[in-house]
Amino acid sequence: MYLKELTEIGGVSGDESRVRDFIASKIKDKVDETHVDKLGNLIALKKGKKNGKRFLLAAHMDEIGFMVTNIEDDGTLSFSPIGGVDPRVVPGKRVKIADKVTGVIGYKAIHLQKKEEIFKVPAFENLRIYIGTDSKEASSKLVNIGDSVVFTTEYREENGRATGKAFDDRAGCSVMMDLIDNIDRYDFDVYFAFLVQEEVGLRGSAVIAEQIQPDVAIVLEGTTAGDNPEVPEYKWATHIGDGPAVTFMHRGYVVSSKVVQNIMSIAQKNGIPYQAKRRTAGGTDAARLAGTWRGVPSGVISVPSRYIHSPVSMIDLNDYHNTVGLVEKILDEGEVFFK
Amino acid sequence: MIETIRKLAEAYGPSGREEDVHRIVLEELKNHIDGYKFDRVGNLIVWKDGKSGKKVMLDAHSDEIGLVVTNIDKNGFLRVETVGGVPPHPYVGQRVKFPQCTGIVYVEGETSQDMKKNFSNLSFDVMYVDIGASSYEEAQKVAPIGTFGVYDSRFMQNGDFLTSKAMDDRVGCAVVIEVLKRLNSPNNTVYCSFSTQEEIGLMGARVAGYDIMPEACIAIDVTASSDTPKAFKRHAMVLKKGPAIKVKDRASISDRKIVDKLIELAEESGIPYQMEVLTMGGTNAAAFQATASGIASATVSIPTRYVHTPSETVHLDDIKNCVNLLIEYVQKGV
Repeated sequence: MYLKELTEIGGVSGDESRVRDFIASKIKDKVDETHVDKLGNLIALKKGKKNGKRFLLAAHMDEIGFMVTNIEDDGTLSFSPIGGVDPRVVPGKRVKIADKVTGVIGYKAIHLQKKEEIFKVPAFENLRIYIGTDSKEASSKLVNIGDSVVFTTEYREENGRATGKAFDDRAGCSVMMDLIDNIDRYDFDVYFAFLVQEEVGLRGSAVIAEQIQPDVAIVLEGTTAGDNPEVPEYKWATHIGDGPAVTFMHRGYVVSSKVVQNIMSIAQKNGIPYQAKRRTAGGTDAARLAGTWRGVPSGVISVPSRYIHSPVSMIDLNDYHNTVGLVEKILDEGEVFFK
Repeated sequence: MIETIRKLAEAYGPSGREEDVHRIVLEELKNHIDGYKFDRVGNLIVWKDGKSGKKVMLDAHSDEIGLVVTNIDKNGFLRVETVGGVPPHPYVGQRVKFPQCTGIVYVEGETSQDMKKNFSNLSFDVMYVDIGASSYEEAQKVAPIGTFGVYDSRFMQNGDFLTSKAMDDRVGCAVVIEVLKRLNSPNNTVYCSFSTQEEIGLMGARVAGYDIMPEACIAIDVTASSDTPKAFKRHAMVLKKGPAIKVKDRASISDRKIVDKLIELAEESGIPYQMEVLTMGGTNAAAFQATASGIASATVSIPTRYVHTPSETVHLDDIKNCVNLLIEYVQKGV
C-alpha cells in the first residue's frame, strides 16, 4: 500500500510529474514496459501469455488544488482553483507552492469579522496566500505566476480508517501499484494507465483509448461518500466501510450493463463486500474511454472517501483492501469481460 | 409508418438500455438492408450498399431520457436521479415504467408550507417513487438501485398530430427506417446509426462516427416548436411547415455545404422545409463534427411540441416531408 507516500506528494492537474516519478520508480522493474505519452500519462504493460486481448486499468494522478495567478504589491499571492474546490474549505489552510515554499491561505480572523460576514462563502478573489514576505520583489524571488499550490496534509491511520488529502485519486493509483506488486501474468495483456488532468475535464484519458486500444477498461477512483450525519441515508452516494463502490451511471456515461453485472457477480462469488454508488453526479475517465476511438466498455470501481476535494478526507482501509482484492479477482476472471 | 412510430415510441429505451429499440429497428429493416452490426458501445449501425464509392450517413439516437433508481428507503420508497435533461414537473403524479414494475412519482412535504416550497422549487431531491413495496428488500427485488425507468405513456393520435413519450428521437428512428425502406439501389452507400446515450452527452455518436467516417452525416432529431400559447419568442420553428434544416444550436453549427444542398434539393423537388436556429440544445451532429478527423455534419429536425415530456407531439406531414428530403439528399447530396 502506497497511500502515505502517494497522498503526501503534491500533484495538481498539469503538474503531476512528482507523482509520476514516484510511481514509475516503484513499478518499472515489475512490469514489462513503461512509457510516458505526450500528455504526461504514465502507461505500464504487463504482457499476457497469449498476447491477444487487452485489459486496461486506469487511475488519475492529479489532485485538485490551486495556481498562483498574480504576485501582489504586498507580497501576497492571488490564486485560482484547479478543479472543483469549495471556497469554504480553503481559508486558514497551510499550502505548498511549487513544491518548495510554504504559505498560509489567509482570511480575516473571527475577532475582526462582523456577524453577517462569518457564514458567508468567501470568494477566491478575496483570498490571498501569505508566504512571509512584504513585497512583490521578495515574493518574486520565491514563486512564479503559474506555480501550482497544494494542501499539505500528512497521512495518518487510526482505528482502521485513514485520513489524508488526495485520496481522489491516489487511492486508485495505490490500488494499481498494489496489483502490480501482487499479480501474476495473465493470458491477456494488462495495461495500467496513470492519468493526468482528470480534475480539469478528463483530459489525459482522452488520448488513451486510441493509444492502447483496450477491449475493456476499469477505472479506479476515490469517490465521494456523502454519508455525513446531516444528510439522510437515502441521499448518500456511498457509505464508508460498506465496500468498494460500483458505478452504474455518472455524468456523460451509462456504464455498460455487462461490465457492471460482471463486476458485481465476481464480488458476490468471492464474498467481497461492495455497494452501488447511489448518486450520478460527477464524471470519471470512463466517460472518455467509452466515447473515444471505437469505444471502450468501461467500468468504475471506487474507494468511498468522505469530504473529497478538501484538505483532508477519510477512507476505510477495509474498503481499500477490498478494492484491491476485487480488482485482483476481476483480473483472475478477466476472460468474462471479453465475451 | 404511424404504426412503426408507435412501436418505437412506446418501447423502453433510456440511455444505455437501448436493446428493445434496436430489436424493433432490425425487425422493421429485415430485407431492406445489406448488413448491420452492433459496435462496442451498443450503437446499431446498418447499411445499404451504393455504387458511387461514397459513404453518406444518417443518424437517429435510439435512447430516450429517463430516471434511474439511486436509493431505496426502509419503507420501500425509491429515490431517483435524472438520465438526461428530465424536467421534474411532468413527473408529478405521473407514472414511471421500470422493466419489472411501474411506480408513481410524487412530492414530499411534512407541512403545507413545505409542500408549497417543494412545488415551487421542484426537483427530484424532494420527490420519490412509490412502487407498492413495503420494505427495502421488497423494492430491491423489482427495482434494484441502478434500475432505469421511462415515462409510462401511450401513443396517441389527434388527426395528423402524433403524441407520445420519446418522439425524441424515435420519430428520427422511424424517419431513417422509412428512408431505407424506400431507397432502391442507392447511389451512395448509406450508413445509418441508431446511436446510444445521446441524451446524456452524445456518447454513442462519437464512436459511430469514428468507425464509419462518411463523407457527410445528417443527424435527424427533434427540435422545439413555437406555435403554442405564449411560446418561446425567438424561435421560428412550427409544426406542419416541413422538416427544419438546422443552421445552429448550442452544440454545433451545421456544415454550410450540406445546409445549402438540402435547401437546393427541397426547392427543386418542391418539398416544404423551414430553417432552424435553436438557441439551446444539441444533437449528435456536434459529436460527428468533433470525432476522428472530423465529419461534415448537419441536422434535419422534426419540430416537436412539449419536448422531454410524456406527450411529445409531432405532425405527420413534417415526418413524411423529412423522409422525402433525406432520400433526395442521400441520392444526390454528396
